[in-house]
Amino acid sequence: MSDLSVALGAKLTLANPILTASGTFGYGDELSDLLDLEQFGGIVTKSLSLKPREGNPPPRIVETPAGMINSIGLANLGLDRFLDEKAAFLGQLKSTVIVNVAGREQAEYIEVVRRLQSMPWIAGFEINVSCPNVKQGGIEFGVNPELLGDLVSSLRNQTDKFLMIKLSPNVNDIRPLAECAQRNGADAVSMINTLYGSAIDIHSRRPKIHTVFGGLSGPAIKPVAIAHIIKAARVIDIPIIGIGGIQDGADVVEFLLAGASAVQLGTVNFFDPTAITGILAFLRK
Amino acid sequence: MKQHLSVPIHSNRKVAQDIYLLELECPLFAQAARPGQFVNIYFPGSLKIFPRPFSIAGIRGECIQILYKVVGSQTRLMRTWKPGDSIRILGLLGNSFELDQSAETHVLLAGGIGVAPLLFLADWLSEQGIQAHFFIGVQTENQHADYADLKSRLYLSSDDGSIGFRGNVVEHFQEVLAELRRPIRAYACGPDAMLHNLAGYCLEKEIDLQLSLEKVMACGLGLCQGCVVKMRKPIDGNSYKLVCKDGPVFKADEVLFDE
Repeated sequence: MSDLSVALGAKLTLANPILTASGTFGYGDELSDLLDLEQFGGIVTKSLSLKPREGNPPPRIVETPAGMINSIGLANLGLDRFLDEKAAFLGQLKSTVIVNVAGREQAEYIEVVRRLQSMPWIAGFEINVSCPNVKQGGIEFGVNPELLGDLVSSLRNQTDKFLMIKLSPNVNDIRPLAECAQRNGADAVSMINTLYGSAIDIHSRRPKIHTVFGGLSGPAIKPVAIAHIIKAARVIDIPIIGIGGIQDGADVVEFLLAGASAVQLGTVNFFDPTAITGILAFLRK
Repeated sequence: MKQHLSVPIHSNRKVAQDIYLLELECPLFAQAARPGQFVNIYFPGSLKIFPRPFSIAGIRGECIQILYKVVGSQTRLMRTWKPGDSIRILGLLGNSFELDQSAETHVLLAGGIGVAPLLFLADWLSEQGIQAHFFIGVQTENQHADYADLKSRLYLSSDDGSIGFRGNVVEHFQEVLAELRRPIRAYACGPDAMLHNLAGYCLEKEIDLQLSLEKVMACGLGLCQGCVVKMRKPIDGNSYKLVCKDGPVFKADEVLFDE
């Protein structure tokens, strides 16, 4: 069997370059009887905030051509219940586990990372600075290099673990943000989070998403992701983890050619939950 | 048990206006399925990326039955599927109706294509020697399939009066309720407005009611958190439950319909 392992800098080596994307894979336990989770090079958990969040009112999702819009609102069980209910399952997995962290303000991100950073089973953190779906869902950090720089350097002071910043595509130019993450000590960036999107029901004349705007994902956004990655790869040296509409092995290769070192599978987990198997077979060929 | 399978089509035939019955050869699910559970059907290569959830409408030998109404592009495609073709499905998904053996009367209330999971439940009840009272409502006569082999006592209704009781299924139930022996356990599936209306009525009449709900789903597995329904009482500060994973069957008095 060919070796697919990939080093993401000095701190983290993955058995293969395929991770799950946050928010599309729960905490792994939902899929554990369907899939061998250890096929993945790494598992990125659903966004975790300090306090539980029940999320946005429905409708939260809508299907769009070759994609979907979601506005879940970072529904999650909060740090305490995560530790009580999910840590044991994630801790016994052989896979690399990366915890995605979301916050309303800098102090929330820092507190979550501070309390998790001594857990031996957590390989690193992905910082969600780009959720478009909650008020102060971190998106200001994701579009403002000054705020982002402060956040990244203060998180860097909290942890020596692998620290990855998930960037938003909803900016004119992603390069200053990627550079800012690198300059302030991030080990990697992941890109792209979802694109702003909306859809309207022509019969009721109402938005198809309760919050009107949501995040567009799925195969439809792949070219946007590829373009952002090409641009970012020209200005930063830290690894880029590519995300955006990947559905098969050929897509993975395209992301690697654009400049990504590894990728995350997101929306495909919904419409082809066993895609990982075919992707790994393709890459090994 | 959750499995992602490629399964052969055993048959696919029209049973009423725009209503088709699809039989899939799937011994694993045929053996293990319980009434109320559903499967996702996948449409690889479609611009519409979501799989579509369908309640299991019955078991015949090693086949599971899916009753579907042609409403959009995916169900129009399904209509063209031929015996021998294989399709991809994911199951078994969701919870199931909870049977209350102590009830004197079991009432099944179906609006339109909501009849699907209740057909399976009716079979299940009859295997246990229980004859259900099965209310099936449609808009007009040609939407009724032939239910000759159902062992339930049938109460047909149509909005236009072209077959059976003239009116909706809830009104029909209200007409008949006094004749039914208590305690009654009711099970329903249909349009939201019907379920809302029925839930209010059953609460008032102190009838235990379970509902099979439908929502747009992306995954069917609890991953996307998209298919939420609001509950009357929050649990740990969370008032939402997932139709795909916590449901699709809920106790009617738990569900908050107003949102």
